[in-house]
Amino acid sequence: MANFFPRWTNLLPLKIGVCIIAVVIGLTTAFSYYGTPKAQRVGYQPDQPIAYDHDLHANQLGLDCRYCHSSVDKSTSAGVPTANTCWNCHEHVAKGSDKLGPLRDAMGVDKDHIVIEGAVKKPIQWVRIHKSPDYVYFDHSAHVNRGVSCESCHGDIHKMEKVHHDKDLSMAFCLDCHRAPEKHLRPLEEVYNLDYDVLAYLEGKDELKGQIGFEKGDSADEAQKKLGELLKKNWSIHPKDSCFTCHR
Amino acid sequence: MSNRKTNLPGRLPENKPQHLNKQDGSKIWRSLGEKEGEEGFQDALDREFLDGAAQMETEEEREMSRRSFVKLMGASSALAGVGLAACSRPEKLIVPFAESPEWSIPGKPVYYATSMPQAGGAASLVVTTHENRPTKIEPNKRYDENGGTDSFVQASVLDMYDPARSRDILNGGVKRSREELVKALGEMLQAGTRVGVVVGEDESPTRSRLFKELKVKYGAAKFYTYEPLTGEARKQANAEAFGAGADITTDFSKAKVVLSLDSDFLELDKQGPVSGFYKNRFVEGAEYDKKANAKAMNRLYIVEGNFSLTGGMADHRLRIAPSQVVAVAAKIAQACGASVTASGDYKLSDNETLWATECANDLKANAGKSIVLAGTRQTKELQSICIAINTALNNYGKTLKPVITEKTGGNMESLVKSLNAKELDAVILMTPANPVYDAPGFADAAKNAKLIHLGLRRDATAHAADWHIPSAHYLESWGDTRTATGTYSVVQPMILPLYNGVSELDFINFLLSGKLFDSAADGGESSPSYDAVRKTFTGLANDSENSWMKLLRDGFWKKSTYAAVAPRGGGAVSVIVPKAPSAGNYEVVFTTDGSVYDGRYANNAWLQEAPDPISKVCWDNVAMVSPATAREMGVYDTILKLQPKAKVYGIFTAENAGVDPITNEGKNHANPMVSVSVNGKELEVPVMVAFGHADHVISIALGYGHGYDKNDELGRGPLNQDHVSHVSVNRGFNAYSIRTAETTYLASGATAKKTGRKYHLAMTQEHHAMYGRALAREISTLPTEGDHGKDYAAQTAGVKKQGMDSHAPENISLYKPKGSKTWHEEAQANKHLFDERQQWAMTIDLNNCTGCNACLVACQAENNIPVVGKQQVAMGREMHWIRMDRYFSAIGDDENNVEMIPQPVACQHCESAPCETVCPVNATVHSEDGLNTMAYNRCIGTRYCANNCPYKARRFNFFDYNKRNPLIHKNLYKGPLGKKAVGEAPSLQKNPNVTVRMRGVMEKCTYCVQRIQSVKGKVKARLTEKANAAGGSSVDVKITDKELRPKEGSVRTACQDACPTGAINFGNMMLGKDARVMRARDSERNYSLLNYIGTIPRTTYLARVKNPNAKMPDAQLIGRATINMH
Repeated sequence: MANFFPRWTNLLPLKIGVCIIAVVIGLTTAFSYYGTPKAQRVGYQPDQPIAYDHDLHANQLGLDCRYCHSSVDKSTSAGVPTANTCWNCHEHVAKGSDKLGPLRDAMGVDKDHIVIEGAVKKPIQWVRIHKSPDYVYFDHSAHVNRGVSCESCHGDIHKMEKVHHDKDLSMAFCLDCHRAPEKHLRPLEEVYNLDYDVLAYLEGKDELKGQIGFEKGDSADEAQKKLGELLKKNWSIHPKDSCFTCHR
Repeated sequence: MSNRKTNLPGRLPENKPQHLNKQDGSKIWRSLGEKEGEEGFQDALDREFLDGAAQMETEEEREMSRRSFVKLMGASSALAGVGLAACSRPEKLIVPFAESPEWSIPGKPVYYATSMPQAGGAASLVVTTHENRPTKIEPNKRYDENGGTDSFVQASVLDMYDPARSRDILNGGVKRSREELVKALGEMLQAGTRVGVVVGEDESPTRSRLFKELKVKYGAAKFYTYEPLTGEARKQANAEAFGAGADITTDFSKAKVVLSLDSDFLELDKQGPVSGFYKNRFVEGAEYDKKANAKAMNRLYIVEGNFSLTGGMADHRLRIAPSQVVAVAAKIAQACGASVTASGDYKLSDNETLWATECANDLKANAGKSIVLAGTRQTKELQSICIAINTALNNYGKTLKPVITEKTGGNMESLVKSLNAKELDAVILMTPANPVYDAPGFADAAKNAKLIHLGLRRDATAHAADWHIPSAHYLESWGDTRTATGTYSVVQPMILPLYNGVSELDFINFLLSGKLFDSAADGGESSPSYDAVRKTFTGLANDSENSWMKLLRDGFWKKSTYAAVAPRGGGAVSVIVPKAPSAGNYEVVFTTDGSVYDGRYANNAWLQEAPDPISKVCWDNVAMVSPATAREMGVYDTILKLQPKAKVYGIFTAENAGVDPITNEGKNHANPMVSVSVNGKELEVPVMVAFGHADHVISIALGYGHGYDKNDELGRGPLNQDHVSHVSVNRGFNAYSIRTAETTYLASGATAKKTGRKYHLAMTQEHHAMYGRALAREISTLPTEGDHGKDYAAQTAGVKKQGMDSHAPENISLYKPKGSKTWHEEAQANKHLFDERQQWAMTIDLNNCTGCNACLVACQAENNIPVVGKQQVAMGREMHWIRMDRYFSAIGDDENNVEMIPQPVACQHCESAPCETVCPVNATVHSEDGLNTMAYNRCIGTRYCANNCPYKARRFNFFDYNKRNPLIHKNLYKGPLGKKAVGEAPSLQKNPNVTVRMRGVMEKCTYCVQRIQSVKGKVKARLTEKANAAGGSSVDVKITDKELRPKEGSVRTACQDACPTGAINFGNMMLGKDARVMRARDSERNYSLLNYIGTIPRTTYLARVKNPNAKMPDAQLIGRATINMH
């Protein structure tokens, strides 16, 4: 009887098998990388209705974070400024600028800042960058009032001309800090100082250096850890890692 | 066919409930089946869960769903390749206000003081608003008389967001604009028009003031007050005895003995603030800081026909037909020395005479320290007797204070009379009632005048009216009102009217000025009602800005009360006692409903789904009769058996099909119907056996049966379909239809005929039963009988050893025996498992719990608990986190003479929780604070935890109840094709700090973890405060765990806040004796539920104490329900 199948088909099942395994492994690997918050979120940098420059306002002009995000130490939400917060300065600064069109719409004024009769004040629609899932309840005030800086989660936001998502803010990210808070704690005065450098802070504070066991030549990380340990102890910081801390 | 019996042969013998043999039945029961030890009930017990409550419908269905799951998964993975293209991140927006509103901080609630106007006196409230949306109502703790709120107040916030709320101005059913309304009413109402204005029974000083102005403008104007269930007799009797407009304010805190003559004064027939009553009910003092003193307790007597919550609290309850209450009252009055004579064809039994005499003796011994109350809707004769007794006892001026209110105007009777005599040209209805539906004779009489209706709902009256105007909810309007004792209170709006409704005061202002305020167009200006209220307040207090601000902050003006009048004795009273009802000559009682009140809350899904406190029926009303009367009607056995009726393979229905062992429960539970004829009218209603109910009396709750559609089970529809919403359609039976103006409360000479038809009822009384164990425990202040008589102290000491706990050894953990080395050290080492700052616990004092549902509804409002609809409730799938158990217990051997003990059961937060060990994905775990927590995002819905929970406190989302509207007929079963929730509005009520759960996850009481977390967040700011105060570097600031501990009273759960009796305590165990909850836990009455199984619950109960009078009949048998249970 003639062979129905040519000789080259002998290895076909094996080849198909190898292919399938390769595809499965490939998909799994791809998903477990590209599906993570790190790949999905970090670097997200959408266009905003007003190209607000954090570098200009916070870094160069030295505006405090809390001038605009005024509820960060009072509420769970840090708050995005209402249009009249911007208007406090921009009623006089950069008058008539093309970039500030949406702000003038929100205030109901024309280019010369003359009130338009009967105008509907259209609020500015900012594009959300940092978003925790609906089942996560994060409390800003509980963190900034305990020595965790904005920088720990948002990165060097004061130097971003256009804000992007800097840290992955995954559950592991949260847990890392909750399990070792000393890596991030800093004196309360320095929470909103995004240029904070632990070595510079310790400069000249010999008593404190002795207290935390600072040794000459310690790296910033080591110094941070040592200072963090002291703050953790002094302030009774025991972050929780059980589910209800964030999920409820 | 499946056999779903799952009890294993190796079941622990001691776990077997007692009294399980059919001959005995039970002495404590929740339902008829349980009482009679009926087979079906025992079968249900063995299976633990109701048919449908724990599994999919049938074997085929389960098979089907498994197959369709695989199919769907296959399809979706295939589509995933296509779907991946759209995998980009969805863009979300943050939209801050253009102009920052005052006080509004995103993520932080703002609280406003306001009041809810009510007939019996306003409720002083504090309303939580999130981002300017009112979400939750709490009692105003600044107001001393406030204990808590009732379920109606709690649920009223949902009424505001009701998607079926009236939105349009209607002229004979046609939508009209505001301009057309203004024009038409301007033409209709001229200075000479004879206009009648009808308002509710609540009081409003501004409204009264404006009415005087209205009288000037419309010389012929007449004013009326009307609500269907507030009664006229009491007002008349009071007016006769104390002068026009007189009312009585009560001070229960000074009363040692209270006698209620058919008055549910604790719940549905409030006659003044009751917080004083409950304060005198605490044996160890309201703060649990005193030594137990049984003598400090007050004593409550009640004479009534059908069980009320007040009857459940009573130490002595006399069961008698409501028409005969007057005979007992006359007897008591005579014994107290009041000049009361009674005649008529009646006879009190020896027992009743003894009861009345000894009750009178107790009252006399407490003259000046007692209160006698008569049911508001009882006859004028009874009201007069009540006044005579109180006068004889010298109670006026001491516990009772006659006052003069501002209430004036005619009533419904005079309105109908005027209408029939054509003395009115137009009637303006602003009452919260629905007179076309609930006032006998009004609908016909109203044809003689033009009808203008201002109301929240498009109900029967709205449709009958010539003009209907949507009104604003009280949370949307400015106004003022008075509490029961006359304290002036302000009604503050939280939000602009959602559907551009018109508030009552704005409408009166329109009648005066001809200009109708439009909240949408004139939103920038203050409404005329604001100015009017402010003017009234200026006249009442002063015109300083400070006083006004204080009023707005506190919600009430303390210095204002009603003017007192000198007590003067009532004259001699003579009454004719009507003939007692007998078999075939029944007495029909029209009762106030615990869910819909007089019908005004029919569109409120929370209240409709809250089980009736007594009957435990949801979504419907029934006729309640005593067991003897049910036997007379020939329905007793039918109710008990509830014949097997099942669908055979889902195709045809057969009687006694014999294929399904589960027949008379869940969605197949149907009660027999009878046709009740009275007043020449007929009403067919399902019958339920009610214990402790007077014989030959049929009680039917009012307020149901507004309208029906084509899906109605009894084929009553379509009828008045446009009067109802998804919530109220096909709900219950309209008892107003057999009520006449002469028989507003009682109708005698009724007959009842079995019709052979049946009606399905959703009852929660057998759901989640924990049968036969000493669960709701009680003791008595009287020593027990016999040689070894135990006095109160001995009984208290025995509370922990009642039932199973009497012979169960102490629980010791196998792994870490208490007292051993490992126990302590490990706890020390694992500090993260035990938080030194806070450990939460709750106690529920059964002595004060009335079972009123306020906590249940408050929990629903706070925790975004969905409504599931009648059919799902019938299948045991109700989602309430608090289950209000209600037990009946026989006093002695008489099945008719019963006590009622309510017991709210929610998750007990067991320290060694059985649910946690069985969760395969660690979705339910313990927190460092001692909470048993649920991570919804982890839950995969195996339901193992619910099966392992001995308290049956876990609820499962069988469907996406929040997303798919469960109230639309068969909607849940249409899957993605089903209609979504109607309108946006109800989602605005949701608490943003609580996850809205989806299909397939388990949920249960969380101890209001969102409130705990919010307080913990606030506590953390103490470090910043301390550092700022210290100056210098924050590095040197030291803060201890103790300083970071949430203080007593800072975390209050929703149920605790709402509880009108103070029965619920919640707090931080680490505060020791500073915490009320710890003092309560130290009480000897404290016990844990099912202690012997070793779950170590954090929620514990305090045993109920009955305070009987030793000389009364059956005194020895009261408070003994569980005392001898082993």
